[in-house]
Amino acid sequence: MLWYKAWLETRWRFLIGLAVLLVFACGAVFDYPAIARLNASVSAIDAPGNLGRLIREAAETQRTYRGFIWFQWYRQNLVQMWTILAVLLGSGGLLAASSRAALFALSMPASRTRVAGVRAATALMELLVLALVPSLLIPLLSPAVGQHYGLGDTAVHSASLFLAGSVFFSLAFLLSAVFDDFWRPMLITCAVALSQTLVGALVGLPFSGMLRVMSAESYFRSGQVPWVGLGLALTVGLLMLYAAVAVVERRDF
Amino acid sequence: MPEPIIETVALRKTYGDVDALRGLTLQVQAGSICGFLGRNGAGKTTTLKILLGMMRPTSGEARVFGRRADDSTASVEIRRDVAFVGEDKPLFDYMTVSEMVRFTAAFYPRWRRDLERHYLGIFGLSPAVKVKTLSRGMRTGLAVLLALCRDARLLILDEPTSGLDPAVSEQVLQALVSHVASAEMTVFFSSHHIAEVEQIADRVVMIDRGRATVAAALDDLREQYRRIRFVFDDDAPAAPVFRAEGVERVSRDGRVLTVLASGGAERIVEEARPLGPVSIDVIPVSLKEIFLESSGVEG
Amino acid sequence: MDTSFLRPNPSSGVPIYLQLIEQVKHAIETGALRAGEQLPGIRPLAERLVINPNTVAKAYRELEHEGVIELRHGAGAFVSADRRPRQLTNTMRAGQAIVAATVERLRARGLGEDEIRRLFEAQLAGLPRKGERSA
Repeated sequence: MLWYKAWLETRWRFLIGLAVLLVFACGAVFDYPAIARLNASVSAIDAPGNLGRLIREAAETQRTYRGFIWFQWYRQNLVQMWTILAVLLGSGGLLAASSRAALFALSMPASRTRVAGVRAATALMELLVLALVPSLLIPLLSPAVGQHYGLGDTAVHSASLFLAGSVFFSLAFLLSAVFDDFWRPMLITCAVALSQTLVGALVGLPFSGMLRVMSAESYFRSGQVPWVGLGLALTVGLLMLYAAVAVVERRDF
Repeated sequence: MPEPIIETVALRKTYGDVDALRGLTLQVQAGSICGFLGRNGAGKTTTLKILLGMMRPTSGEARVFGRRADDSTASVEIRRDVAFVGEDKPLFDYMTVSEMVRFTAAFYPRWRRDLERHYLGIFGLSPAVKVKTLSRGMRTGLAVLLALCRDARLLILDEPTSGLDPAVSEQVLQALVSHVASAEMTVFFSSHHIAEVEQIADRVVMIDRGRATVAAALDDLREQYRRIRFVFDDDAPAAPVFRAEGVERVSRDGRVLTVLASGGAERIVEEARPLGPVSIDVIPVSLKEIFLESSGVEG
Repeated sequence: MDTSFLRPNPSSGVPIYLQLIEQVKHAIETGALRAGEQLPGIRPLAERLVINPNTVAKAYRELEHEGVIELRHGAGAFVSADRRPRQLTNTMRAGQAIVAATVERLRARGLGEDEIRRLFEAQLAGLPRKGERSA
């Protein structure tokens, strides 16, 4: 019943997120013909400095369908929305946005570790589905616009997003074990996520940290799965989950 | 003497610079309905939370069924046989009544379906209604149902009838009374409502500023506590020192000397006779007055 | 008989079990309960009056000790067919007459109801309770 409870607690965030992502995935595919036409004219634009370089690079990448999907979906839409969902699902943790509910769960003959563990596991499974299922729509729908997208690429990119991005879930989860409200974990984690991804991208640094790992950029460019980055993110994420459970075990409610 | 169902020894709890419990020692025996009286902030909720493993004591011991309440593993075992109804009636707002029942029943193999049907009826609860839309009375009813259907040996309730109208209040009290069917069931409830403690409790523990002040059978309190009023012809003697035990407070007002005694009224009367009072009145003391006296409120 | 038990007053200063004892004795005196009749069970009565079952049990034990009722194991509580309760009833009647006379005399002296009550209370508070056993 703990699983059912965790499902009830997270289901709307999950279902709405899934619906939105599915729509955006369709959008990505069906936008391709229009974007392809636009791209042809963009590469001729001569804008100065960093911004100009970024625009030209973007156009260059999106010349191929694979590049387009990678750029629009795995590096932009999916990453952004999925990360938000990871933070949303991580916030609220054991407290389920209300300490009234927490006291009831705590009065059950179940260890706190189990209650928190089930909550985390449920959310992580939902996040895996959110990374994979909308992405699967792309190879499915691509033929409709006369294109092809490989299942192998889908698998690698979705997995990378999930494994690396779950670190944000873990951070939100840890923060909700420490803070009693819903907002602080969410805002702090969002701030961290933004700084790790957006900052790098805006400044145009070669190392944009998390974003590169989550979008498996090295795999896209040269077939190199970012094992180190993934390993690091996973380790940090697991450590934070472990810490979250430890906090929950020891604190007063 | 059999082992107490609940026992605390010199229990202390400090959060930040607040000393919620400052050496609380109490026992609750099996088969009793024990009322836990105390002012707001006296430490009642803290005590209950420690017993349930929701908080850890700063020092001292708390035991339920003889096991340490601050040990996580033991606490899970304790909760297999305990039902808790918290002050805000904690429940999962996003679940329906029947989902709450199914959730709770999943943890308690001895779930009483007969009582479930009975209390759904008594409190007027329909299975498909979401918990967050329940009125206060129905919410309490559901919390009580979930507590009683577990067939638990011990019920711990924090202000069970707060905010309830008299009719629902009475239904809750009746449910508690019928739960104490045999010597195996115990009820430990904190309350502000002195009248309801007087009605259903057979023992009372009073807590004030983190310590137990009074712990006795209710009938003993009724039979032992007396207010003795001596009236004198001239000014009453200045606070005489009584050798007899049981003198809680002596106050003097003009020609009247009043003694509050927690026992041994006869001996006190005998001791005061030589002072030559014109009249002696021995009056019973209500539980409310005993409570106010023990929590330092001037009577 | 179940429904004619009155709810005891928890705040009256008189222990609830004593109030119940009085009710049973009064019921026997007035004939609401006859010799050999069964009293309500401890638990049903406790539920009905919303009081502690231990309190009902205590009242019943006390009544049995005084010989007013019999507790038959497994069967319940029954009004004694003994002669003793009858004596008690007679004594009560005599006592009632004495009290009535005394109250009249005190009123003749100008004492009011409250004053008379206080005199009785003070007198009783000074006496050890008859046959009291610790619970």
